[in-house]
Amino acid sequence: MSAAAASAQLPAEKRRVRWAPALAALCGLLALVATVEVVLDGAVEHSQLIPKQPAIAGWMSGIGERLGFRVFLIALLVAVGAYAGLLWLTSKFGEGALSKRFAIALVVALHAIVFAGPVLLSTDVFSYIAYARMGVEHGLNPYLHGPAAISHDPVFRYVGHDWRQTPTAYGPLYTLLSYPFAPLGVEGALWAMKVEALVASLGTLWLVWRCAIARGFEPVAALVAVAVNPLYVIYGLGGFHNDLVMMLAMMAAVALMLTPQPSSRREAGAAAIVVAGALIKATVAVLLPFMLLARRRLAPLLGAAAAIVAGALVAYAAFGSHGVNIVAALNRDAAFVSTDSFANEIAHLFGKPGVFPVDHDLLKAALVLIVLHLLWRTWRGYDWVAASGWSLLAISVTSTWLLAWYILWPLPLAVVSRDRRLLAATLAVQGLYVVHQLSPLLVPVK
Amino acid sequence: MSVREDTAAAPRGPWAWLPPRLRPREQRASEPRGRLWRVETLVLLAVFALLATATINDLVRQAHINHRLIADLATWRGYTHHDYKNVGVDQQTYGVATHVDVVCGNTEGGAPNSKTQICLVVNGPTRGGRRTVAGGWYLPPFTTDDVKSVRYGCFGSVTMGRCPR
Repeated sequence: MSAAAASAQLPAEKRRVRWAPALAALCGLLALVATVEVVLDGAVEHSQLIPKQPAIAGWMSGIGERLGFRVFLIALLVAVGAYAGLLWLTSKFGEGALSKRFAIALVVALHAIVFAGPVLLSTDVFSYIAYARMGVEHGLNPYLHGPAAISHDPVFRYVGHDWRQTPTAYGPLYTLLSYPFAPLGVEGALWAMKVEALVASLGTLWLVWRCAIARGFEPVAALVAVAVNPLYVIYGLGGFHNDLVMMLAMMAAVALMLTPQPSSRREAGAAAIVVAGALIKATVAVLLPFMLLARRRLAPLLGAAAAIVAGALVAYAAFGSHGVNIVAALNRDAAFVSTDSFANEIAHLFGKPGVFPVDHDLLKAALVLIVLHLLWRTWRGYDWVAASGWSLLAISVTSTWLLAWYILWPLPLAVVSRDRRLLAATLAVQGLYVVHQLSPLLVPVK
Repeated sequence: MSVREDTAAAPRGPWAWLPPRLRPREQRASEPRGRLWRVETLVLLAVFALLATATINDLVRQAHINHRLIADLATWRGYTHHDYKNVGVDQQTYGVATHVDVVCGNTEGGAPNSKTQICLVVNGPTRGGRRTVAGGWYLPPFTTDDVKSVRYGCFGSVTMGRCPR
């Protein structure tokens, strides 16, 4: 039988799979090229997109050109297109389109490129370093003072203008974790923060893989959905945000709960890890009620209670009562308004100049209603992982202070949840966020 | 797609006193597409439609603002005959909704804000890539906040009450 005749006998689905790996390779290549472009141009010098920073990626600076909005947005759109292609291919053909080895190699390459490059799109990492140096080098409580209190410190010039007067809103565990980096100097601390973000990201992705297997989902598709996501790679990892550390704790707790042999010890451990995650960044605490309602057992409740007591004692010992009162810091930050927040966009849609205090109250009320509905659904058998993911998505959508890395929070949960609407909704919200960035591409201002 | 159950059996005893409609259920291996699922999906689609409309509206609004900024900058450069890069546009002084912008830049070469600045109040539609200069004022070197107390040399009717007497 000739090759042509054999090919004609292949089922249509199989024949389609023959071109799928080539298309997946092309999409992977495009994602890499777009990321390399952003990193190389970002390494040249600071711009509106690249914060002032020590010359950690100086060896790359001779290759690209100063990163402007046009190149960045084109690269972002290319990465989004490549990501959409990979999502479709892996969901339709699974490993038939993208082998495990290729997927892992792509993820490692993306991480390596971003890790070697400059800090992208955010000054937050310098705030982390400033808070650490305030505590270790200057004996100041970062829950009482903003970085302006150490204006003579070398890190101060890199801290974002909006945050110079602001005490830390991060959890006491994160602040303590960052303390060992303070004596390394600004550049050393920055590299330490980059390593921390890299390890947290790779750990999160490994846990996503494990959770996908535990739930019977295609792990390659789950991995690609998180790790090749342009907002995850360019904004989350590129900014070396501590959200990645929070997400590592979140997925560690989920992985413990999804083990084939559940035990009281594991459930208690999972609840304790959620509390630890909340002591890094408080948002993740929203998982706890859903976890407790789904299990309705004493062990996770005891685990959470023990972790809360231990965390509060450590926080009080290290930072006094201000370190324990994370809610006050969250309330303060919840009053901020960013131009990218949906609340602000809806206000403009209805002819208002922006968000008013009454809108904050309405949004909080809407969030409470959503969470109550999800709690009721979880009580009646709805997937608690999906309910947690919906809550995180609702927090980001109703927040008046929305940043790209906030809409990453539900993504690892969405890919392992049993409600596929969550993944669609998360990606739709991320898509709208990207669309909202495009005005400099439509009408560039010089 | 097979889905493995990941939960232990739900305790029935402690909740037996509740009416059946309020009792807890075990975590389901898959989500039934009943009436509640359809209502939730409809709500989600409605919310998405609202968010998408607001996003597109804001994108178009921002594009219009960018058009205006380009015209404002061209107006300042044409009026002063200085092709400087560091020229700032403020849309807040007269209110965002008024479309009256204040454009400030150095009167002579130097670092941003290091020289006396001339601020132009620009309004009206864009014609030939420029807008109308309706007035303006001057600011001393190294002024960071354009407030009434530091302005001088106000000109044009739109600046009435904007300079100290």
